[in-house]
Amino acid sequence: MLALIELSTPKGAPREFLLVFAVLLLGPILFRRAGIPGIIGLLVGGYAIGPHGLSLIGAGNNTLPDLGQLGLLYLMFVAGVELDLNLISKYRRSTISFGILTFAIPFVLGTVVGLALGWETLAAILLGSLLASHTLITYPAVKDAGLASDPAVATAVGSTVLTDTLALIVLAAVAGSVAGGRSSVEVAAQVGVGLIVLVGYSLFVLPQMAGWAFRWLGTERAVRYVVAITAFLSAATVAELFGIEGIVGAFFAGLGMNRLVPNEGQLMDRIEFFGGAVFIPVFLVSVGLILDPSVMVKSETLGLAGLFILACLGGKVLAAQITARLFGFSRAQAGLLFSLSAAQAAATLAATVIGFQLGLFSSAVVNAVLVLIFASVLASTIAGARASARMSSPDGPRPLGTRVVVGVADPALALGALTLARRIARADGGVVHPLLVVPESAPFAPRPALAELSEVVAAAGVDGRVLTIVDRSVLHGALRVGRSQEATLVLVAEPAADDDSQQAPAALAAGARERAEERSPAPPVAVVRGNAGRLGVVRMRLDNEELQSSSLATEMARRVASGPAERLDEDHADWSELLAPGDVTFVSSELADTLGKLPGAANGLVVSTVAEWLIREESAGDAAPELPGDATAV
Amino acid sequence: MLAARLKRPLAIAAVAAVLAAAVAGCANASSGAAGSFTPRTANTLTVATAQIPDPGFWEGTFAHPTGGFEYRLAQKLAARFGLNKLKVVEVPFHELVRGRLGGADLALSDITITDERAEHLDFSSSYLKAPPSILVRPGTEVSDVKAARALHWAVQHDTTLKTALERSIEPTTQTLVFEHQREVLLALHVGRASAVMLDLPVALAYARDSPRSYAVAGQLPSEAQLGVALPQGSHNVEAIDSAIRGLKAEGEIDRLGHEWLHADLQEGRAEDVPVLRAEE
Repeated sequence: MLALIELSTPKGAPREFLLVFAVLLLGPILFRRAGIPGIIGLLVGGYAIGPHGLSLIGAGNNTLPDLGQLGLLYLMFVAGVELDLNLISKYRRSTISFGILTFAIPFVLGTVVGLALGWETLAAILLGSLLASHTLITYPAVKDAGLASDPAVATAVGSTVLTDTLALIVLAAVAGSVAGGRSSVEVAAQVGVGLIVLVGYSLFVLPQMAGWAFRWLGTERAVRYVVAITAFLSAATVAELFGIEGIVGAFFAGLGMNRLVPNEGQLMDRIEFFGGAVFIPVFLVSVGLILDPSVMVKSETLGLAGLFILACLGGKVLAAQITARLFGFSRAQAGLLFSLSAAQAAATLAATVIGFQLGLFSSAVVNAVLVLIFASVLASTIAGARASARMSSPDGPRPLGTRVVVGVADPALALGALTLARRIARADGGVVHPLLVVPESAPFAPRPALAELSEVVAAAGVDGRVLTIVDRSVLHGALRVGRSQEATLVLVAEPAADDDSQQAPAALAAGARERAEERSPAPPVAVVRGNAGRLGVVRMRLDNEELQSSSLATEMARRVASGPAERLDEDHADWSELLAPGDVTFVSSELADTLGKLPGAANGLVVSTVAEWLIREESAGDAAPELPGDATAV
Repeated sequence: MLAARLKRPLAIAAVAAVLAAAVAGCANASSGAAGSFTPRTANTLTVATAQIPDPGFWEGTFAHPTGGFEYRLAQKLAARFGLNKLKVVEVPFHELVRGRLGGADLALSDITITDERAEHLDFSSSYLKAPPSILVRPGTEVSDVKAARALHWAVQHDTTLKTALERSIEPTTQTLVFEHQREVLLALHVGRASAVMLDLPVALAYARDSPRSYAVAGQLPSEAQLGVALPQGSHNVEAIDSAIRGLKAEGEIDRLGHEWLHADLQEGRAEDVPVLRAEE
């Protein structure tokens, strides 16, 4: 019977994919158990199956390197898209100073080392640039320690944009010089024009096109994800049109899409999931194919690695020390600057692989850089842990638009509030979570309403999780979810003019107001009346006393208007102007009630803040903030 | 005030820069970032090959090579390493693949990279894809593997082509095996064989040079690639490997392919040559 069965040697794509996924599965797990970072497990796994190891994947194989190339583009896209751009504007001086120093010092040291080794000038410059970039490997740990808003941390995070951009520009120039065999003027013109077109496409055209696609191509998660992939591949293609490496385009695409893909949003979640699970690990495994222990243990390789470590980490220490002295940072903060800027991974690996492909670097250099990566990750992790332990300052208040919950009862009335919320969140790189509040009297399965809300959410270009909760009122439900989600702002879309489920401040007893003052703080709340998908003029019609007391309205208006809002006199009574279609007016709650009853009230958006004591009163029956599971993610 | 604050870090920076430069200077200065090349004969790149002329790859004679993909590639490698002279030596193919290069620095002779050969040789990364292909006399139809099986075959000894023929075609008649490629071609030319197996770039070059004598009837699906062969343990592997990658990145390999092989073969594309699959 067994003789009838003919087994053949497995070959082709399924076997190769099986090998790669086995490495993705086992590599990080085994190494983490040994206390070694998972990234090393992927590199070693790549070596194990590659031509220098068990040769299960031969030197001529193209499948894995091609997949790795996609992973490399993905890695650079993620590096750009997850940067917090707000930090650059907030700590502009220290960010720019540190960015220049932490790029320039290792760059100069690396170039000097290359030239002293007798390397070609281009190879020496490329070495300098790859030592000058950094990857925020220790940022999650620093964030978990509650130090995300520390000025030193913000400075280091913000400087990443500068260092990686400069490093990639140097890479583009070097690659352009190698590829053409042309004069330096021709190369400079080619790369210069290419970068201008690429920046224009990535930072201006691409976000417009992606925003349009997010709104009109559908609400499906898969569609939005594919739009993001298409976006960075298109930027990489534009870069290659000008002879610039595709990774430069992918990184700029990430910067361009940064505001459209909030760090806490669903799309970012999917980008990180697929990137972390497949694409980026596959790139690391493909790098492992180059790994050659016989080369790595050679005295030449170890000597090179020692020099790279000296130039890179020495330069990063100096940049951190100088910046700390210039801006009065403590020793612990200087340690954080070093920890966040020392780790070499994404851009370093990318530039090294490109240098190898261009024939500028031998495998000895690649292996020496891998030693540097390992050493830098180790040094930055240790330095980060020590500096974090010495720091005492916890996270400060989060910006208003960090996490906005928008409570709605009727999806048909949600577009205005969601559009407003998106503007506020976008200004702070935050996320908007739409919340459908189902009245307690309604049947529990509000599927049609949820489907309708999902469509409105897509039309508003919002990327957060759609939540639902059964509650006695929209305000109460939104507050409960806002507290459980640690929202920085709650917006409530006013259901209808004659709906009295939201109690006016006057309806509450004076005693309740006093009791409410004593309770724990809750997120600030504003009520949005009206509906509009496109926002027009932003105005504030508040009297001086209200203006002074309502910094919330001012802060919201500033974000919605992308600058100071137009201020109207407190006796301005041209209601038709206030209710012009799409216009946004911040008013007192009393005036909002009045305007809400006028004909055409639904055309414009009227926003009023809810008093803190009323918010606390609404939360009066809640013993403690509910767990996130209290609201259901859809 | 500011200068006083920065005095110490700047002093450390200066010391670090001097230290790095000094340590780097003490390191092996002759070893470039892309590896260093040391020829066996000073100022001369010595290249071994099995056959000249080899249409498309080596034109002219051993004494006076005049052109061809691999000849020009050898010239570019010599120029890259700053060597003024190029010497070409003849070594039979079966000797080359056993690692005997006749004292040459490297071999350029349509050598397919295989694990078996890597036991005797070190290889650079590939410079051309070279799937096995079927060269016939014009008018011979080879519609599928079944039709190919019935042909009278000739192939060169000790080549990956012989293995491909035996595994993928499995001829029904005795295959003629020759020591040299020119004998294989002669067998086809005089009618002793009705089909021969050659690397695709080589077959295309013969068909282009003598369209009345030869035609390429098909190719086999394969990842076979040609590479520069070096004596095992050669210290020049890194430098040659980097040079091949550099020539690819600079577009030189493409240019040579277009000039001498009249085809874009770096990615193994010859789309007008049908692929014969085993199940067909």
